[in-house]
Amino acid sequence: MDLEFSAEDEAYRAKLKVWLAENLGGGKGSVNELMKSATEGGNKDPLAGARVWPRKLWEAGYVGLAWPKAYGGQDASFTEQVICAEELAKARTPPMINTIGLSIIGPTLVQHGTEEQKKRFLPRILRADDLWCQGFSEPEAGSDLASLRCRAELDGDSFVVTGQKVWTSLAPISDWMFLLTRSDPDAPKREGISYLLCDMKTPGITVRPLRNAAGGMHFSEVFLDQVRIPRENLVGELHGGWKIARSSLDHERSGLSGVLALEETLGRLWRMASQIDRGGEKAVEGPTTRRLLAQHWIEIEGLRHLGYRTLSDQIAGAAPGAGSSVGKLFASDLRSRMARTGLRIEGPLAQVAKRSPHVIDRGRWHAAYFDALGHAIGGGTSEIMRGVIAEKVLGLPRATED
Amino acid sequence: MDFRLSEEQEALREVARDFLAARWPADKMRAALDAQPALVDDDVWKEIVEMGWLGVAAPEASGGIGGGVVTAAVLAEEAGRGILPGPFLSSLTAALAAESCGDDVLLGEIIEGRSRVALAVEEPGGSWGPDAVCLAATPCDEGWSLSGTKILVRDGQEADVLLVVARAPDGLALLKVPADVPGLARNRMLLMDGQSASELVLEDVRVGSDARLGGGEGGLLEAYEKATVLCAADLLGSAQASLELATEYAKERVQFGRPIGSFQAVSHRLADDLMKLEIGRSLLYGASLALDDRRENASALVSAAKAWLNEAAIAAVESALQIHGGVGFTWEYDVHLHMRRVRCNVACHGDADFHRDRVASHMDAALAAEGSGP
Ligand SMILES: Cc1cc2nc3c(=O)[nH]c(=O)nc-3n(C[C@H](O)[C@H](O)[C@H](O)COP(=O)(O)OP(=O)(O)OC[C@H]3O[C@@H](n4cnc5c(N)ncnc54)[C@H](O)[C@@H]3O)c2cc1C
Repeated sequence: MDLEFSAEDEAYRAKLKVWLAENLGGGKGSVNELMKSATEGGNKDPLAGARVWPRKLWEAGYVGLAWPKAYGGQDASFTEQVICAEELAKARTPPMINTIGLSIIGPTLVQHGTEEQKKRFLPRILRADDLWCQGFSEPEAGSDLASLRCRAELDGDSFVVTGQKVWTSLAPISDWMFLLTRSDPDAPKREGISYLLCDMKTPGITVRPLRNAAGGMHFSEVFLDQVRIPRENLVGELHGGWKIARSSLDHERSGLSGVLALEETLGRLWRMASQIDRGGEKAVEGPTTRRLLAQHWIEIEGLRHLGYRTLSDQIAGAAPGAGSSVGKLFASDLRSRMARTGLRIEGPLAQVAKRSPHVIDRGRWHAAYFDALGHAIGGGTSEIMRGVIAEKVLGLPRATED
Repeated sequence: MDFRLSEEQEALREVARDFLAARWPADKMRAALDAQPALVDDDVWKEIVEMGWLGVAAPEASGGIGGGVVTAAVLAEEAGRGILPGPFLSSLTAALAAESCGDDVLLGEIIEGRSRVALAVEEPGGSWGPDAVCLAATPCDEGWSLSGTKILVRDGQEADVLLVVARAPDGLALLKVPADVPGLARNRMLLMDGQSASELVLEDVRVGSDARLGGGEGGLLEAYEKATVLCAADLLGSAQASLELATEYAKERVQFGRPIGSFQAVSHRLADDLMKLEIGRSLLYGASLALDDRRENASALVSAAKAWLNEAAIAAVESALQIHGGVGFTWEYDVHLHMRRVRCNVACHGDADFHRDRVASHMDAALAAEGSGP
């Protein structure tokens, strides 16, 4: 057992750190500078600024590490992928607007796409030219995703698609949507689903943004009315979409980058507790708060070392075992617990709204709290994750009929 | 980077598991509960010594097999799983202490089974660990005079030598005290899992100056960390066994026309237990490796593993009892054997709050060093 990276890997890390330091500063040619100037001078693309960082990162070779070079990827080693994820998580970087493309549809196309699809879509995802959204959930098909109804009928060289998607994150700014459709209504429900790629500018698509519980505009309803999607945009086989969707739910990055974000959150909690008064002493001096924060330290170390185990399995070429589903569920619960701790440390001031001048940390903990609650629903609820662990890891009988 | 057990470690685990299943079936432990204290049969003990288990961590140069704390933790986990009573874990703990404090002679005697040695740390007063030690070591003509009380000394009643943690004028000291020395009274303490423990009352016990082990306070603190890790591993073993018992039962037991494992109140509880054990296993290996590598956050990781596994193991054995229904509450089922052992181990070498406080102290130092960012 060892937790050391090789000398080459450490050299890779050192180079990346230097690059990050050079590009994230505030100076001339820095990302900040470029982001500002991108939106000046009459540029019509409102996302021009937001595209600067992902593009720059890709140009430097730090995006698409697992993807083949032929489509703009890096063919990087597994440890390089991990180091890159770690260092990016540690640095305070601007957000990546093409995350859905990079983490879900990109890897799916690498695995299941046709040569034409890979050539056409992958480089544009890497450069943040195309932004993608995921059209899986429907009003009547959430956890029971396979009961989806959005209808796709083959008509000559194209599918004609009619139906409704919901909770579609980032739909209004997306150029493309990957979606699951019912292509054979007579087949058993998992055998009549096709996986399609749809240009969001196609006639017949209406996007209606929904305001979420936190007050933000993050997800939307998407209505499709006789939308024509060329047959070449079918991923995998006709009616064979379910298996592909399952595999795209598995395309999770190594949990280690999540650990670093949680570690950063814990540092913030500790600093806040060191500044806030509670009953005549600093909150961090009270045993309840101290132990709560210590518990989070323990939980984060647990998640980190679980991540090392999963990673070691992957490096050795073994399928990620119990680690990945367990890590996902644990991380999502831990996020909620830490957000609650934040509100608890704020004490009476936890009531104060973000826009009030008295707010602590610019309302960070309210936002984190809502965010964490949403996280326990999106991408498979915690109950569904527990069901997966019970069935796939413990081998217990299924709760539902099918 | 490879955070997996090696093939040798996995093979040793399998050997240990098969050996204990064959030579120490749970029925023996059940019977031993009525005839306390529970100690392993002499012939089984002899084989354990012959297999070299007590030298699992020690370097080959000292007569061990060089597996370090990580491999010792693997065996401790199997001992927990197999409900193995003393003197295996107490002897392994003493061997690790002898190694940390640089006493190769004593280490050799333990490994070869020539001497039974028990580590005596805890005292009355309601806390744990070397920090809470009051027992005084005062210099005298012969060397040291020891006075004070130790409690919960595992297998202390059967030991030939007691390794006593004492407070000397220059700091904490670890001293070898022969069991038959004048001034030492040994009183049996009965533990709820049937295992053997002693109270030691020392009144002006005289030992030579060569009785003090080397390694300084650092060695002694490290010895206690290792004892804590073995205890955490023991907890993981009990918890894993409980989870497996409950899972198997949930697949077989049918009520309302279906296996009870298809009810989510049952299956989700087991999924949560599994998640907690996987986190605990990760922390345990992390802490063990950190001790082997002498990393600066090793003691915080040890506390993390113990605090976490204390709570995870309780959750797992309580689930096992509940999920077995009425039979889980019978003497004949093994669940209560695990429950008893876990209940002892969570109160041994520090409860969860004790360890959370230690982690918080580590954070004081570590996060203060990071400075005050936004
Ligand atoms: C912030 C956010 C972003 C999202 N982004 C997207 C996106 O981009 N694209 C997309 O397609 N979808 C997205 N979703 C949708 C998400 O995948 C679904 O909300 C989720 O799968 C649950 O489906 P549902 O909302 O229909 O709830 P339901 O499935 O109706 O579940 C309601 C409750 O019942 C429980 N439940 C359901 N079935 C079971 C069962 N078998 N056993 C036990 N409990 C059960 C659930 O756990 C939940 O608590 C997003 C959701 C959120 C919150």
